[in-house]
Amino acid sequence: MVAIAARAAAEQAGERRERRAAPQYELIDCDVHQSIGDYTQLHPYLPVQWRRYVSKSGFGGATSGILRGAGSLYRQDARPPGGGEPGSDPAWLRQQLIERYHVRYAILNGGNILGLGTLPDADYASALASAYNDWTIATWLTEHNADGRFKAAMLVAPQDPQGAAREIDRVGDHPHIVQVLFTTATGIPLGHRWFHPIYEAAERHGLPVAVHPGAEGRAIAGQPTAAGWISKYIEWHTCLPQTAMTHAVSLVCQGVFEKFPRLKVVLVECGQSWLAHVMWRLDKNYKALRVEVPWLKRLPSEYLKEHIRLTTQPIEEPPSREQFLQMLEMIDARRTLMLSTDYPHWDFDDPIAAFKHVPEDMKRRIYYQNAAELYGL
Amino acid sequence: MAVARKRRYVVAPAGDFPPGSRRIMRVDGREIGVFHTPVGLFAVRNSCPHQAAPLCQGQVTGTLLPSAPGEYCWGLDGRILRCPWHGWEFDLATGRGLYDPTGRERVATYEVRVEGDVVVLFA
Repeated sequence: MVAIAARAAAEQAGERRERRAAPQYELIDCDVHQSIGDYTQLHPYLPVQWRRYVSKSGFGGATSGILRGAGSLYRQDARPPGGGEPGSDPAWLRQQLIERYHVRYAILNGGNILGLGTLPDADYASALASAYNDWTIATWLTEHNADGRFKAAMLVAPQDPQGAAREIDRVGDHPHIVQVLFTTATGIPLGHRWFHPIYEAAERHGLPVAVHPGAEGRAIAGQPTAAGWISKYIEWHTCLPQTAMTHAVSLVCQGVFEKFPRLKVVLVECGQSWLAHVMWRLDKNYKALRVEVPWLKRLPSEYLKEHIRLTTQPIEEPPSREQFLQMLEMIDARRTLMLSTDYPHWDFDDPIAAFKHVPEDMKRRIYYQNAAELYGL
Repeated sequence: MAVARKRRYVVAPAGDFPPGSRRIMRVDGREIGVFHTPVGLFAVRNSCPHQAAPLCQGQVTGTLLPSAPGEYCWGLDGRILRCPWHGWEFDLATGRGLYDPTGRERVATYEVRVEGDVVVLFA
């Protein structure tokens, strides 16, 4: 009798646990890809001389030649019920991402457009960036944004820094524009003074500068990895953080954060655990090689933690929960890490499942607060 | 507990210890490097706080002072000792490691001066 009563009580308690709603978190998703579907939608925003380069399917330019051997770029279920490119239907994106995961703000980083940063023609690249910004503002940030949940990155052409600065002056103060974005595949490390006009303009408008991988190996970007030409997509995708590591080291060592003390740089989709490696190695080297970078007034890791932000997707998945939490501690995730899903791409992370075992306080930093502070949301 | 009293050691006759000289002395179980550089007499412990390298075998030089990005200001000539292993820099006058922005990392320094016609170390 006693055993039966005990079991009944235990079952009741179990039911109570199940009934208690899982805590709901508001999220800021820092990497969402809207899609234009038909690129000729850019025509009204493009000076006439550039329109002939833009067809329904794209804007020209080289590919890396690295072929995908499995599946598509997109999550299979992301194709809108009414047809069209995944990420092209705001209502479907809202249903699949925003409503399902309680996304308070989705940062739209463009879709299949960042490759403009590797076009050899800087004039065309800048014109394309401006047209894409105008299209994003007219559609996603205005027509489909009654509730203000869509925020967006404005694109610039890194091969045209002065043009990029003018573009930041042109659209950077739009209330739903929250960052300046270009490809990680710049061919020139980000600390180089080539890019400083972009940083000056971004800092002046209070906008973080974000970079996003994907164009590695295309046209003027040069070879896709530090060691040269890999051959499979799995190699290409795995090695993408190499570019970001160089950018992070370059930004610190060239004194960018001394010159632009309010500048923040977001390394979107560039991985996480390497930040610990870079901080430790760079701090160690600083002690021996400080004389090369006398403008640094603090340890390099302190600049990285203050000025660099990483996004979560694709979150690295060590074999044990303990290692996962150690990794987050090592990179000071409470400060440096911001949630992203990469919807609607194939390597999407489910934001709830991916962080199930993360302590509550850290989870809130990653899910919302770090991005809210960065973007002033 | 009484503070250990510094003892006086003769390093060399002053005439035998011109600028550019250095002498590593074993003093009461410690190794101490005594330097006469173009800007003065200095003495520091012969052990780098990093991995205990023989610091006082390093190069005496100057360094690039804290500056704005892209600017190069050479200074502290004759005051910088670079560890012979990893090149960590120390200010001979203060013992401070230039690589440590907090100013906490340092190597022990000692008083050294000319008394009459001899260089003496207090350690």
